[in-house]
Amino acid sequence: MCVGLSAKVVRIQDGMAMVDASGARREVSVQLMDDVEPGDYVMVHAGIAIAKITDEDEHETDEVLEALLA
Amino acid sequence: MSENMRQTAAQIVQSYDGAPLRIMEVCGTHTHEIFRLGIRSLLPPQVDLISGPGCPVCVTPVGFIDEALWLAEHGVTIATFGDLVRVPGTERSLADARAAGARVQVVYSPLDALSYAKEHGDEQVTFLSVGFETTVPAACLVADQALSEGVENFSLLTANKTMPNAYAALRNSADVFLYPGHVHAITGTALCEDLAKQGVSGVLAGFTAKELVTALAVAVRKAQEDKPFFVNAYPRVVRPEGTPAAVALMDKVMEPVDAEWRGLGVIPGSGLQLRDAYSSIDARKKFEMPHIEGRPNPACRCGEVLQGHCKPSDCPLFGKVCTPQHPVGACMVSGEGACSAYFQYGGGQL
Amino acid sequence: MSKQVTLAMGAGGKQTAELIDTVFAKRFESPLLTADDAAVLQRPAGRIAMSTDGFIVSPSFFPGGNIGKLSVCGTVNDLACMGAKPLYLTCAFVIEEGFELDKLEQIADAMAATAAEAGVTLVAGDTKVAGKGQVDGVFITTTGVGEIVEGATPAGANARPGDAIIVTGDVGRHGCTILLARDDFGIEANVTSDCAPLWSSVEAMLDASKNIHVIRDATRGGVGTVLYEIASQSGVGIALDAAVVPVDPAVGGVCRMLGLEPLYLACEGRLVVIAPKDEAPALVEALRSAPHSKGAAIIGEVTDERPGWVVMNTEVGTQTLLPQPGGELLPRIC
Repeated sequence: MCVGLSAKVVRIQDGMAMVDASGARREVSVQLMDDVEPGDYVMVHAGIAIAKITDEDEHETDEVLEALLA
Repeated sequence: MSENMRQTAAQIVQSYDGAPLRIMEVCGTHTHEIFRLGIRSLLPPQVDLISGPGCPVCVTPVGFIDEALWLAEHGVTIATFGDLVRVPGTERSLADARAAGARVQVVYSPLDALSYAKEHGDEQVTFLSVGFETTVPAACLVADQALSEGVENFSLLTANKTMPNAYAALRNSADVFLYPGHVHAITGTALCEDLAKQGVSGVLAGFTAKELVTALAVAVRKAQEDKPFFVNAYPRVVRPEGTPAAVALMDKVMEPVDAEWRGLGVIPGSGLQLRDAYSSIDARKKFEMPHIEGRPNPACRCGEVLQGHCKPSDCPLFGKVCTPQHPVGACMVSGEGACSAYFQYGGGQL
Repeated sequence: MSKQVTLAMGAGGKQTAELIDTVFAKRFESPLLTADDAAVLQRPAGRIAMSTDGFIVSPSFFPGGNIGKLSVCGTVNDLACMGAKPLYLTCAFVIEEGFELDKLEQIADAMAATAAEAGVTLVAGDTKVAGKGQVDGVFITTTGVGEIVEGATPAGANARPGDAIIVTGDVGRHGCTILLARDDFGIEANVTSDCAPLWSSVEAMLDASKNIHVIRDATRGGVGTVLYEIASQSGVGIALDAAVVPVDPAVGGVCRMLGLEPLYLACEGRLVVIAPKDEAPALVEALRSAPHSKGAAIIGEVTDERPGWVVMNTEVGTQTLLPQPGGELLPRIC
């Protein structure tokens, strides 16, 4: 349905951000995000940021499982 | 620690010994990743994983490709996601049209389609706007930008779809839905909460190995509690409120419309079209396109596959005349199409 | 002389001679390359291998090389894959009218340098000029002859269950470089083509052991396509360990952005080597001593299960099939 890529914001200008995924860079729109800053991580789809995220999935997914097991 | 957690999740899935359970992964990217990671082989035999209709290429009707071909034949440059290039229309695909001289520009983003139009002022450029709520905001961004900047050689041919009414149409096809993480990154979780109140269970799932296995663990564990549930197993990306700015933009630019889903037929209010204010960039209006009715191959069972009523391998065309190299149905074209995934990854042999 | 290639330069007269003299003859100088109609060569003592390949690449210049370097590497690598030391090379150019002469000189420079590195002598050539739009820049066809090292018998049908599978470096770099150089998707990354002549790698291996079952260069279609070819030719299964296939991080990033599989991106300087498991460590060590295969690694093994298929051991401890090679690589978004 929707391939997503997590990437780090390098710089922002006029609603467009240069994002970096392991050295692959491209400009994406961050117009739909509020308060995104360089250094933040975003989920990118089709050239726009669709969510602000943390840099890794580990602890959040672990918490889901811990809640299930509790 | 984290590696252990994944193993714990995998063990929960593997050791499920409850009643038969049908889990539908709604999202085609889930289908793709589940095959790529070999996750099916973790499932006990009574858990059936059904590939749902969440692949925009797969549910886009044949007639949409015919419409795009009509535009290409009338000299319009088609800008499209790579996914659509090889999808067969009634008689041919965009790849065939390109070989015959049509201009077909593959883009990564709708923003690139608009940039292409600006750089090629002597061409009329139409972007093929397919996709669900995740993809729609990007299309709406460029629609809004094209209109406000007065880019006169750019337009959209829309076949966008939305999930809410599709869930309702599919509610009897599965016991638990794996909800598409990135759709709900935009729309939030309210719909999933409501569905649980109406008796429809589901888990919002991410896309990494651990996220998928964890979501499945939640699904099989919660299913044993015997009451409808909803769990957001993708909190890293999906907030309860979603992305309000994206929803507002979608509402500004597009309006609901009845939409045909390949295989599912017309689902009321499940599509989006450009609002009247955007008529000048609506390709159907701009080029006064005729109504085009596509004719799918009558033997193709993509429709039943998409509803989970049959497996790809049940289709008489599967693997014989219909292969990824020579696709007949859309489910064989897209890398995330159920038929393609079955064929590419050996269809349940592993 | 004009700064661009003209149709007259391909007409066979004085201007053709001038083009050949100024661009090619002085760079490819050797006693074997004469003005006569054919090269006259000494027959090697052993068996010979012979191969031909046509090269078209857009753009003609890319990070890590150009079409000239590519046209020498492609053919000498095909020879090397048969265990043959490259000896002689011919080249035929089809050049588009208007192509810049200084670019043609750079291409010839690269061919001369690469041929020297590969130890191959350019012994004959041909130049044609086609009208504007009839070719895209320049197309080059090269044909090579090499002498097969005594005792070396690598062939695609020789893989046997229990063999180890070695790749000589990270995969997909050339394909990724070209994709980025075309700039169709607005992506930037610091990636250079792996384009390189690989005789030195093969020679190092053959010095270590002649007991090598298969050597293939992974070009179009990448390592994945080569593995499927070998699985089919040898009638064996192949099991890959997904986690140990070397991929440059930036290549991986580009692939994730576009939904592509690095195993299907082209390489131009990578070999897939299949050899008995007990020979593999020595071969890897030999490869790492050669200049263009320092990243050599064992990535899987040949099995007798599922003949004709490539199976991946995944990060969740399951197995899945590597998708079979498809047609055109199209980025996917949905």
